[in-house]
Amino acid sequence: MHFLKGLVLILLPAAAIAAKRAAVDKFQQFHSKALSSTPLKLDDSIYGQLTSAPRDYSVAVLLTALESRFGCQLCREFQPEWDLLSKSWTKGDKKGESRLIFGTLDFTDGKNTFQSLGLQTAPVLLLFQPTHGPHAVADSAPVRYDFTNGPQSAEQVHSWVARHLHDRPHPEIHRPINWVRVIAFTTTILGTLTFLSVAGPYLLPIIQNRNLWAGVSLIAILLFTSGHMFNHIRKVPYVAGDGRGGVSYFAGGFSNQYGLETQIVAAMYGLLSFATISLALKIPRIADPRTQQLAVIIWGAVIFVMYSFLLSVFRIKNGGYPFWLPPFS
Amino acid sequence: MSDIIEEPFFKGSTGRNTRGVLRLTILCLIAAAAIASRLFSVIRFESIIHEFDPWFNFRATKYLVQHGFYDFWDWFDDRTWHPLGRVTGGTLYPGLMVTSGVIYHALRALTIPVDIRNICVLLAPGFSGLTAYATYLFTNEMTTSPSAGLLAAAFMGIAPGYISRSVAGSYDNEAIAIFLLVFTFFLWIKALKVGSVFWGAWCALFYGYMVSAWGGYVFITNLIPLHVFVLVLMGRFSPRVYVAYCTWFAIGTLASMQIPFVGFLPIRSSEHMSALGIFGLLQLVGFVEFVRAGVPSRQFKTLVTGFVVAVVLIAFAALVLLTVSGVIAPWTGRFYSLWDTGYAKIHIPIIASVSEHQPTAWPAYFFDLNLLIWLFPAGVYLCFLKLNDEQVFIVVYSILASYFSGVMVRLMLTLTPIVCVSAAMALSYLLDTYLTIKSPPEPTDAQILDAANNSSSKKAGKQDGIRSTREPLVGIYTTFSKTTVVSAMTAYLLIFVLHCTWVTSNAYSSPSVVLASRMPDGSQHIIDDYREAYQWLRQNTPEDAKIMSWWDYGYQIGGMADRPTLVDNNTWNNTHIATVGKAMSSREEVSYPIMRQHEVDYVLVVFGGLLGYSGDDINKFLWMVRIAEGIWPDEVKERDFFTDRGEYRVDDGATETMKNSLMYKMSYYNYNSLFPAGQAQDRVRGVKLPEVGPTLNTVEEAFTSENWIIRIYKVKDLDNVGRDHASAASFDRGNKKKKTTKKRGPKVLRVE
Amino acid sequence: MRLLAIGAAVLSLASTALCAEKGNLTKPLTSRLILPSTFKPPQNFKNVNLVHIINLEKSYPKEQINVVVENIASTPQDEYYIPFTSQQMATIGGLEVKDKKNSDGGLFEVGAVEFDPESDTQFYRVRLAQPLAPKAQITLGISYSYLSALHPLPKHIAQQDSQFLVYEFSAYCPSAYVTTKQKTEVKFPSGNVPEYTIVAGGEVESPVKAGSKFTYGSFSEVPAGAVEPVKVRYEFTKPLIHISQLERDIEVSHWGGNLAFEERYTLHNHAANLTNQFNRVQWASQQYYNPPSTAIKELKFPLRVGSLDPYFTDVIGNVSTSRFRSNKREANLEIKPRYPIFGGWNYPFRVGWNADLKKFLRKLKTGDGYVLNVPFLEGPKQSEGMVYEHIELRVILPEGAVNVKYSTTVPLVSEEISLHRTFMDTTGRTALTLKAINIVDDFRDRELIVTYDYPLLAGLRKPLVIFITFFSLFAAAWGIGSLDVGIKGKK
Repeated sequence: MHFLKGLVLILLPAAAIAAKRAAVDKFQQFHSKALSSTPLKLDDSIYGQLTSAPRDYSVAVLLTALESRFGCQLCREFQPEWDLLSKSWTKGDKKGESRLIFGTLDFTDGKNTFQSLGLQTAPVLLLFQPTHGPHAVADSAPVRYDFTNGPQSAEQVHSWVARHLHDRPHPEIHRPINWVRVIAFTTTILGTLTFLSVAGPYLLPIIQNRNLWAGVSLIAILLFTSGHMFNHIRKVPYVAGDGRGGVSYFAGGFSNQYGLETQIVAAMYGLLSFATISLALKIPRIADPRTQQLAVIIWGAVIFVMYSFLLSVFRIKNGGYPFWLPPFS
Repeated sequence: MSDIIEEPFFKGSTGRNTRGVLRLTILCLIAAAAIASRLFSVIRFESIIHEFDPWFNFRATKYLVQHGFYDFWDWFDDRTWHPLGRVTGGTLYPGLMVTSGVIYHALRALTIPVDIRNICVLLAPGFSGLTAYATYLFTNEMTTSPSAGLLAAAFMGIAPGYISRSVAGSYDNEAIAIFLLVFTFFLWIKALKVGSVFWGAWCALFYGYMVSAWGGYVFITNLIPLHVFVLVLMGRFSPRVYVAYCTWFAIGTLASMQIPFVGFLPIRSSEHMSALGIFGLLQLVGFVEFVRAGVPSRQFKTLVTGFVVAVVLIAFAALVLLTVSGVIAPWTGRFYSLWDTGYAKIHIPIIASVSEHQPTAWPAYFFDLNLLIWLFPAGVYLCFLKLNDEQVFIVVYSILASYFSGVMVRLMLTLTPIVCVSAAMALSYLLDTYLTIKSPPEPTDAQILDAANNSSSKKAGKQDGIRSTREPLVGIYTTFSKTTVVSAMTAYLLIFVLHCTWVTSNAYSSPSVVLASRMPDGSQHIIDDYREAYQWLRQNTPEDAKIMSWWDYGYQIGGMADRPTLVDNNTWNNTHIATVGKAMSSREEVSYPIMRQHEVDYVLVVFGGLLGYSGDDINKFLWMVRIAEGIWPDEVKERDFFTDRGEYRVDDGATETMKNSLMYKMSYYNYNSLFPAGQAQDRVRGVKLPEVGPTLNTVEEAFTSENWIIRIYKVKDLDNVGRDHASAASFDRGNKKKKTTKKRGPKVLRVE
Repeated sequence: MRLLAIGAAVLSLASTALCAEKGNLTKPLTSRLILPSTFKPPQNFKNVNLVHIINLEKSYPKEQINVVVENIASTPQDEYYIPFTSQQMATIGGLEVKDKKNSDGGLFEVGAVEFDPESDTQFYRVRLAQPLAPKAQITLGISYSYLSALHPLPKHIAQQDSQFLVYEFSAYCPSAYVTTKQKTEVKFPSGNVPEYTIVAGGEVESPVKAGSKFTYGSFSEVPAGAVEPVKVRYEFTKPLIHISQLERDIEVSHWGGNLAFEERYTLHNHAANLTNQFNRVQWASQQYYNPPSTAIKELKFPLRVGSLDPYFTDVIGNVSTSRFRSNKREANLEIKPRYPIFGGWNYPFRVGWNADLKKFLRKLKTGDGYVLNVPFLEGPKQSEGMVYEHIELRVILPEGAVNVKYSTTVPLVSEEISLHRTFMDTTGRTALTLKAINIVDDFRDRELIVTYDYPLLAGLRKPLVIFITFFSLFAAAWGIGSLDVGIKGKK
């Protein structure tokens, strides 16, 4: 970020000069800058001259709001992709055959632009087509890329740009290999291997322990049957507040749920089945009659209450469900 | 499991017979209950095929019955996917149709004149009875308790999770597939336990039947290898496993390759690679075991192990290589979306748009399984008590099925059987423990003491057993505890029965072709618009009039109206569907050429605005837009159908693109003339519609059903005098102004 | 006049088309007697006085000729010929001739005469009960009706326009004999008759209008075969219901004591088509006040009292919009098609119901003979009337019924006795199939009487067969079960 800021400071006077002598090919000038650092960090003035007609080149400008106070999650998610795209594009065509300039205009630098364009939302990606020259198109109005369906990958945007810039080269995207991840991965693999080889004899009994496996599989089952995959796919909130400042644990609606809710349900299921197991397995093995009697009553009561509670919760989810058990009705 | 349950009421052979008779009667009663609880829709409405896919199966069955098996096998259907047509014979799972065809001909041979429709309607309930029986057999393989099987059968008979896809009239592949699934698993367990080629072959044959019946056979194809793999890892490899698996794999693969739709997939697609790999692995392990038995040398053993590992690695590498190089087809989209859960939403909107491919929220589980859902883990836990091959199967099955059902609602179907089985095992174990007459004698303190001692010593002793079974089994002392537990369980079971009945009658028994509504006086009023419109199409349009509609209704139009359609529920050609989507979501001037090119004569839209019927096309519209946008991103943009504030509106605030889209126009055309001026109301979206209704130039209203649910438009022919339709239509309107001002509102001259 | 010309042109076109499609209908007419092609009906008779009544109140023309015939030959005669054009021959239905004087004399035998297929004039021959002595007179009542002889003009009308029909006939009643005095009366459904031919001949200028009744003539003596074409165009805003095919099954079950009816209709509406497409808004709005319309909204079946559990289905299942009112006095089945059937639209459907067998079947005192008495036709009773082009009536008698005889007054074209296998039959049930063509709904109340023998043994066959089958099944199962097919040796 700092580096970029500094860069802007360097660029500003240069831009001013450029503005003076527009005779020089604007594209070459911006392209040379782009070669040094792309996407260009714009502000209102640079944006103005960059996108001003007449232009014989295309400009792709991302209008974004990166500062955290705007709370634009999407902007921050998309920014690295955008940088990646512009970098690999510019690297891919040094001679500027595609005649495309990438620029980023942050809201802090370009309030006026945002107002003049009447933009409420960010990010917005505009593609300005050349007004004259070989690739000129009829309407000079910029094409707008919409971010309606979520954060976009560099490839998607690349294909979009390429679609609009036909009959020009489209440099491919080169994702830099994430060495850190690779190294971490290999090390972990090796580490685990060594660990296993060393601690194998000690681990083996644990791995072969039936209780462990039983526990694991039961947990997995409870997790899935309490709708964890739904949370995972739909990315539901963990818990939401009701209107009155309190916390609502159970989402209204049949096909809708919170993270915490599912955990509660899983706990209920777990408790119920554990009670069943103890009734079936543990209690007949209690030698002392009185303890056994007591245990039966306790576990029976637990099942009863839990099940009644479960039913009541389900009645919250599905209005008009007729069945219930005391005490929760 | 434990000895206390081995206490038959009747001794000797007569006792055995009596118990046999009792079992038989109970099973018959269960089957009867299973069938009866699926007949709600028949009793309420009539014997009618339900929603969408069943209509295609029904049509295919009729074709099979009329033209015979071979014509059916190479049936090229030119009345769907116009103008492409569809190689129906080679792109469907024929099991269902063939089954009902066989039944039909058998009955005919007995000169019992039963309509093929009734066979199709009642097939699913009939097979549900068989499923209950199969579950009984399957469970009996799992446990020694004689009652578990019956309980499982009862659960399977009435569990809503299974009823949801097998009520009378839902004539879909699942109708018979679930029976085949359970029965194949039963045969597999049988083959595994006996280790006989005989049972393995039977398993393979039924697997082949399953393949011919349902795409879900992939579940078996992956579950059985996984089971075997786990067994091998647990060091439970044995000749029995080897024999059973190899028999199953060899014959089963051959059998499955007989289905044209499957063809060479079993050796080419990734879904089936696991089975192949395990087959190879078994050969290796078998070989190694053989050698190990022969040569007792340490180095040799290590060598062999190394060799095995090497081979496995190489095989895996080869697999990857083949997949990358494309010799082996990669995962199909539907299957892939099971693993990468975000995949479908981005890449295959068609799959994402189907409601039954959504993930499952927890209420759905409880709704479909009620108390079974918490008896289920207990049953799985019980399997760890005595962990034999078959119990391992239950564990593997449970985990896998739970995962899949969580990802896709419709896969709840594969989860239900195992839930029923293990829940029944848990419950029957409980009841067996608490339903015994004899109680153990009151122990003296000394006994307690030494029991404690040897129990502690036992704790030290056996470590591998499951924890909760270390102490010796005593039994239940007091009748009080017995009665409490038993009565409580009975109460829960009764609630379960009520729940199932309620769910079935309220949620799963409406044939969505016929809608039922209640009159003020409580009497049932039937809304039959679908069939009204389809019948009109069938009787009063030319035999080969092409109907364009959204793909949901393709099968129904084919089945009921018997007219060629452009797209239908067999969504094999995304581009074609996108074309229809584009025609629906573009302006008339764009849509008309598309419709002409596809020789469309009539366009059918579903509109619930008058009745408040929410499943109409305007609500599905966004999917059409998305799918069209997937192919023509520049011409159709989802963004344009949302207002600046990102709302999806149909009233005055709707965007121009929305108002000009063919779908919008056809839905609301002429609608506001039903109401006093400016009062037009959309009862689904609950909004007031614009003062001036839309005008249509290139299509004309041909038929509108009684409650406006279905609206059919005729695509105009080219103008006689060569004008474009806009000017022609406005000219007509201008002429007829006096007569039809009220109807059409002021004339609008479109400028192009 | 111009309009008339146009109408004539249209009509001629229509008629040719009609001939083309009705051409095959003349085939099934059996009971023809072949005569040399140079046949001319012998001039043995003279029509002393003739009144020709054409009734257009229903959706088909129904004609009645009352004629006083005198034998002018020297010998007693009993063959009276009635001429028709070949097109009329194709579409004529229900021709009946009786003696007006003694009404209980029954119908005379009538048969179509074929001598020269090309000739435009064909004849029906009436054979009088007893020959008519010379100079003697007899009063014949000849009644018949034509199918699809009425054509809407214009052919396309808007949804609530009123419809006009055109009918062509001859002011002089077509006759093979000299007619001394005759007149033709036309009864219209309403007084609204915008166009009609004016005939100059006769005492006064025809027609003479009296309300909705026009009278042509009376005319003085005209020679045999004289024709005076007349064309009328009148308002008739009702559907022209046309059943191209009716299959009616009547199944007798002695065991169930039940008589099952099922009727399969192929229904068309021959009224004027819609100029532009069907408009639901208009239709719904005009349902409040119920104007006359050419659309079929409802069909009423007055069934025999005591009819049970009726059903009304079409090819895609049950039609919920039907009502059945049954009580001591009446049993009315009122069915509504899924959609209003406008001109040119079709709607095939099927209805069925059960009835108690005792009401229709009677056992003869002697032997094991039975008498079944059922209505030949029970179609809907519509005020505008309806016509049936083909009727195929099938009476399915119980398995093993023998020497079947029947009698009915409806003119038939063919009969057949075959076997019908269903519901685990071994030999099959005796089915009596009767075919009739060009029937109008006046024949609703004609009855059909079937007598047959049904021995007791035949009644007991099915239970015996089933019992034996199951018994042998169980026996076989037991036998196989007791076999030991194990391959391991006995221990």
